[in-house]
Amino acid sequence: MGPSSPTPGTSAEPRAADRDAALLVSLRAGDEDAFATLVTRYHASLKRVARAYVPTEAVAEDVVQETWLAVIDGLARFEERSSLKTWMFHILANKAKTRGARERRTVPFASLAGAEDQPAVPPERFQRPGDAWPGHWAAPPRPWEDPERRLESLEAREHLRAAIAALPATQQAVLTLRDVEGLEAEEVCELLDVSAGNQRVLLHRARARVRSELERYFEETT
Amino acid sequence: MSADEIVCREFAELATDYLERAMPDETLELVEEHLAMCDWCRDYLAQIETTARAVGAEADAPDTAPPAATLQELLDAFRARAGGGASR
Repeated sequence: MGPSSPTPGTSAEPRAADRDAALLVSLRAGDEDAFATLVTRYHASLKRVARAYVPTEAVAEDVVQETWLAVIDGLARFEERSSLKTWMFHILANKAKTRGARERRTVPFASLAGAEDQPAVPPERFQRPGDAWPGHWAAPPRPWEDPERRLESLEAREHLRAAIAALPATQQAVLTLRDVEGLEAEEVCELLDVSAGNQRVLLHRARARVRSELERYFEETT
Repeated sequence: MSADEIVCREFAELATDYLERAMPDETLELVEEHLAMCDWCRDYLAQIETTARAVGAEADAPDTAPPAATLQELLDAFRARAGGGASR
């Protein structure tokens, strides 16, 4: 098993690790249902991370396909020094980097591509110099009422997905690894060759943009 | 940012750093002072956390599965590998 985390992770993480540990036993016994479960569980996330490195959806799909074949080949040798999930994302990242280099893509995480220039919240929502309280909210967020319940509707989830899909590929990759898959920050930095600071900038930009889309949706449907 | 306080515009950028406690102690102290007196920024922080959880919950949606043909191809590869291993 992987190293235990020094800080509490997201609530999804321990459950996911348990699920995968049980799955690994079945996978090694050649259980096809277990493999189908694994593929169904991770295919979309693997593809989203691959997409940060390669130019098209089709190439990303190829990279994920290659990753699955490598996982099948490697299962017998997998030593469990990391979680199954982290191991698979390492395979994916290596293949995606190689493929991205062949497609002459520049290294996507080498710069923030202007991410740090876009504020998390539009500047017009804050008071300006000369106002009563410069830098304080002018148009503050309104508390969301019962967001968990409202997010259960199909319509809300479609909005959420559209918001994620509209993010730059690098932000989607970090958001997927952190908030969907519950990987630790250090694991994500290592996987993507990104500094701790840049990892947080990308994660926060992604969360902030999705938050503002949810805010818009909630205000429209109140 | 000014040395002795954090304003809302600054906190909006620091919410994830704050959740990860990835900031110097003196900044952390200023952030906590700000949050203690700013309902709006507490609301903003709660919404960032809700967003992160909502993104995580979306991962279990059934339509994230690969196309049936892709899955079948992979299952064939898995079977060939597992079966081949067992019969040797």
